[in-house]
Amino acid sequence: MLPALVRKTWRDDRRAVLGWAVGVAAFTTIYTSFYRQFQGAAELKQEALPQGMLDFLGIADMFSPAGYLQATIFSLVGPLLVLMCAITLTARTIARPEEDGGMELLLANPLSRTAFAGQRLAATGTAVTVVAAIPLLLLFVVVPRVGMDIPLSNVAAAGVGLIALVWCFTGIAFLAGAVSGRRSSVLAVTGVLAVAAYMANAISGMSDGWHWVRWLSPFHYFIGTDPLHTGWHPVELLILVAVGAATALAGVWAFDRRDVGV
Amino acid sequence: MTSDYAVLTEDLTKFYGQRRGIESLTLQVGAGEVLGFLGPNGAGKTTTIRLLLDFLRPTDGSATVLGLDPRRDKAALHRQIGYLPGELSFPGRETAGDLLRFFGAARGGVAWSQVTGLAERLDLDLSRPVRTMSKGNKQKVGLVQAFMHRPALLILDEPTSGLDPLMQQEFLAMVRDARDAGQTVFMSSHVLAEVQHTADRVAIIRDGRLVAVERVESLGKRAIRSVEIHFNDPVDPAEFDVLPGVSEVTVSGPVLRCTVSGRLDPLIKVAARHEIVDMLSAEPDLEETFLSFYYHSEGAGDASRAGA
Repeated sequence: MLPALVRKTWRDDRRAVLGWAVGVAAFTTIYTSFYRQFQGAAELKQEALPQGMLDFLGIADMFSPAGYLQATIFSLVGPLLVLMCAITLTARTIARPEEDGGMELLLANPLSRTAFAGQRLAATGTAVTVVAAIPLLLLFVVVPRVGMDIPLSNVAAAGVGLIALVWCFTGIAFLAGAVSGRRSSVLAVTGVLAVAAYMANAISGMSDGWHWVRWLSPFHYFIGTDPLHTGWHPVELLILVAVGAATALAGVWAFDRRDVGV
Repeated sequence: MTSDYAVLTEDLTKFYGQRRGIESLTLQVGAGEVLGFLGPNGAGKTTTIRLLLDFLRPTDGSATVLGLDPRRDKAALHRQIGYLPGELSFPGRETAGDLLRFFGAARGGVAWSQVTGLAERLDLDLSRPVRTMSKGNKQKVGLVQAFMHRPALLILDEPTSGLDPLMQQEFLAMVRDARDAGQTVFMSSHVLAEVQHTADRVAIIRDGRLVAVERVESLGKRAIRSVEIHFNDPVDPAEFDVLPGVSEVTVSGPVLRCTVSGRLDPLIKVAARHEIVDMLSAEPDLEETFLSFYYHSEGAGDASRAGA
């Protein structure tokens, strides 16, 4: 039987997780299922926009199936949706109960501080992973069905990359909450970092002098390797996972060492 | 249990930056004892409780609870503690029953009859979502979760707040039952009357410092009583003003009113020189005694805060 706190965390987050899952699933299905109908519009969109804008939006080309999938699901809105889901859910692990007072009764459970933080993170991490895996699972069905000519292995590489990206920011969000105990800090710190990381990756592609900043951006390790065309890049994915794991562990460490609910 | 004390603090000190929470608090609570922890709002009661539960870490000094270290042995310790927070807020949206099932499971399983028994006793409807409950009913849920696993130590922060008088009586009966079962109760309050009938001892805290720890009976002995004596003829207040323990003397014609702390003997001896028609002595009011700790010691600033 799973620990009571894990089951309780899931039950409390149930509605939010369901909402995000439905949203992400609808977004993925709608964009990809109408691949053929969108094709024409996509060409117009690409012609209408200057190249610099296309680069910034992460749109390489919208004619090829891989380019289309990258432009619609993996470049901006897809990561934005799952990251918002991850950040808001992670803000509920520690910061929210600490602010609304529910923490006292949660923390009074017979668990060490580290076990408490670990179980909260494990429960939320699982929920976040499920939501982040939805595009991957749906694309496995939709891509062959609508006749997109992309190797499923490449789709898997991009889909897993999205999960790795989400783990990276979940760790960062958890650390922010474990240290501050404030929801606003979690949202601000992680939100600003996510936007900055996206910009860094986008700008580095546009001007040569700024090429190096991409190495600082999690988005580069997720999509800068162009997984839909080039397949798996395990080192880049492991870097994302490592950042997520390191920040999560730092969060557990920090939570074990501070006053709670002051 | 390796210690005869359920709670033992030594020079326990907590500062929030520059602001003082509590300072050099040394206190022992015997196993099986009911201790009333009294003080005005902001005196440091909740800070002390949170230090005992390891929500806060002491700036200095140490605490031992049930012979265990609050931080190192948190998991083992919290299994034996029933805690009622002063400001109740419940996580989640479930019904009271589901929430209590969670608390039971988290503590390694609690007989459900134990929960329904307590709910019945407090007249609590377990099928309603906690979020929609009144303050009083939420307080009942909080009490049920604190008592349900029959913990060795109950730490209750302002347990009667929000309860109507009938339920307050029921709560006090629960505390007495807990004591009879050998459980230790550490309950905070800002009103003495609340703990007067159940506590063995009271500890009084003011401005972060422990100012007194006394048995409830001895608190009564040094209680202040108001006395009214009706004489046959008018009397001179100066005659009574000077007596030890007598204060606030007012005389209107043949009627003398005053307050007496400690023994009545000096007053009676002097009064007996006159012809007495009637004499009234109000029962010692522990509330007044309790408040006198704030009003009659050290400075007006303390007094105004105690009144707030």
